[in-house]
Amino acid sequence: MRWLALIWKSLLRSRRRTLLIVGSLVLSVFTVAVLQSLLTTLDSVTNNPNSGNRLAVRHKSGITQMLPRSYETYLRQQPEVETVCALQWFGGYYQDPRNFFANFASDETTIFQTFREEFGLSSITEAQVKEYLRDGAGCIVGETLALKNGWKVGDVVPLTGTIFPINPRLTIRLIFKSSRPSDENVMHFHYKVLEEGVPRMKGLTGAFWVRVHRPEDIPRLIDRVDRHYANSAYETLTETESAFNLAFVKMLGNISAIIQGITIAVVLAILIVTANTMGTAIRERGPEIAVFRAIGFSASRVLSLLLAEGVLLVALGAALGILLAQAAAGGVRGALGAVMPFFADFEITSATALLCLVGALAVGLLSTFIPAYAATRRPITDGLRSVG
Amino acid sequence: MNANAFDLGEGEPIITLRGIAKSYWRETLEIPVLQGIDLEIPSGAFVALMGPSGSGKTTLLNLVAGIDRPTGGTLEVCGHELNDLDDDELAAWRNAHVGFIFQNYNLVPVLTAFENVELALLLTGLGRRARRERVAEALDLVNLTDKQWNYPRQLSGGQEQRVAIARAIVTDPDLLVADEPTGALDAKNAEEVLGLMSRLNTEMGKTIVMVTHDPKAAHQARHQIHLEKGVLDRAVEVNR
Repeated sequence: MRWLALIWKSLLRSRRRTLLIVGSLVLSVFTVAVLQSLLTTLDSVTNNPNSGNRLAVRHKSGITQMLPRSYETYLRQQPEVETVCALQWFGGYYQDPRNFFANFASDETTIFQTFREEFGLSSITEAQVKEYLRDGAGCIVGETLALKNGWKVGDVVPLTGTIFPINPRLTIRLIFKSSRPSDENVMHFHYKVLEEGVPRMKGLTGAFWVRVHRPEDIPRLIDRVDRHYANSAYETLTETESAFNLAFVKMLGNISAIIQGITIAVVLAILIVTANTMGTAIRERGPEIAVFRAIGFSASRVLSLLLAEGVLLVALGAALGILLAQAAAGGVRGALGAVMPFFADFEITSATALLCLVGALAVGLLSTFIPAYAATRRPITDGLRSVG
Repeated sequence: MNANAFDLGEGEPIITLRGIAKSYWRETLEIPVLQGIDLEIPSGAFVALMGPSGSGKTTLLNLVAGIDRPTGGTLEVCGHELNDLDDDELAAWRNAHVGFIFQNYNLVPVLTAFENVELALLLTGLGRRARRERVAEALDLVNLTDKQWNYPRQLSGGQEQRVAIARAIVTDPDLLVADEPTGALDAKNAEEVLGLMSRLNTEMGKTIVMVTHDPKAAHQARHQIHLEKGVLDRAVEVNR
């Protein structure tokens, strides 16, 4: 028999209790891992490393209000600006309303330059871009989206509009790869498809995406653009891309605070449950602990054994919880990645897994230490008296 | 009767108690359990501690075994002044020098008979093979080799107590302490266990100190020490 075998056998003393506590740990760690990963994912939306030199210019009243496309001329004239791209959320689906994904009408002449990191420009040839520019009914799609739907270059994709009353049939002219899966769950098509199909959209756009030469110019540019259009019929709200995305995420409510609140509640609940279970389990073993000590186990050695049991128990629960969360993350990516592109990046990162594991171990140590310490400090004769 | 007058036979004392006292406190009330115990027990003795309930015999056994500490006096057991040892040293001392036999066997239910016996050896630094040999010897001695992979719940009371005896002797201690070792056994099993203890004393030279109420069990010992209200009352040599 080795020490680990002794610890393991002690853990299996009450299999039902061990199973229940491991089960509750699995669920708790699963919940915390998924929620923390959701936070990480949302955080990546607002902290996209590619966002540093891009601005979003939209109507001051909200993203559902339109701006004149003529603003583009003024924006281009600013010395800090490298390129400007008009972008409008189309909100169409492919074949079935459940097959919903991010699709935009965008200025085909500047889209590649404005979002060059997302399009992985190095992998796109000039001929492919020209082919897209040539075909007014063409579209470009990310590889993840294409793979999911079995699309290839040349396929015609009928889109059904949900916001605008048109159903464009678009030919795939380019499939691009990106460094982040969420950037590959997107389709762009020529802006004029929207303008020609929806007369009220002629000369209007939901937002402009502005790429600047140097990030440090952004504050000055924001101030100038918004002052320029102040008191006009279409006042602007100019903000960094990160701030724009943050506002978009905030439409879901103060997710971060809710998630942190739930996480704290789950951790506290599992701490109390584990402490109660470990406390009961250790108290029941008072006579046995006394025997261990009588035959020569020091109090500190018995304490170590009990702590090891607690840690092994929570480590087991945490590991299973993390594995379950990993499996669930795959499901989330598949189910929601196309609808909300940032979910395509949803994963249980090693940092989140480590956080869960360390947190669980801390819960195990905390919940075991107090009853174990008390049990090992109890006089041996007291423990033996309660035998039989 | 003065304890010094007790004649427990010739031989180097393995247990020497000088002015031992033990009290318990209930809030501010002191409850004396043992007072002024002077006693020498020679190596190889088989002593039965007897007396009515509350006379202090189990407390005396606990002090000798190093699982409790006196409130007064000194005790030297197996060549060590126990008062001088801290808790960890005392634990190591118990592992090396004392084997315990309890009334209710106190086997670990999730371990097999073999593993229960091996438990005390985990602290000795012996290798796996050496531990196995020692456990096999101990189980052979108590005639339970065929039950070594059984769990306590699969053993009879007598067999459980024999496993407990194997656990007590596996470290080859100088001293065996037994608290009512036959208290939970029927007559036949009690006889077997007492016979085994007698053999350990006569054939292996183990010093045994046993607390018992049972006159039959006490008759197996070579000396009976009677306690009365926390003091030594008399010592009797058993004639067999």
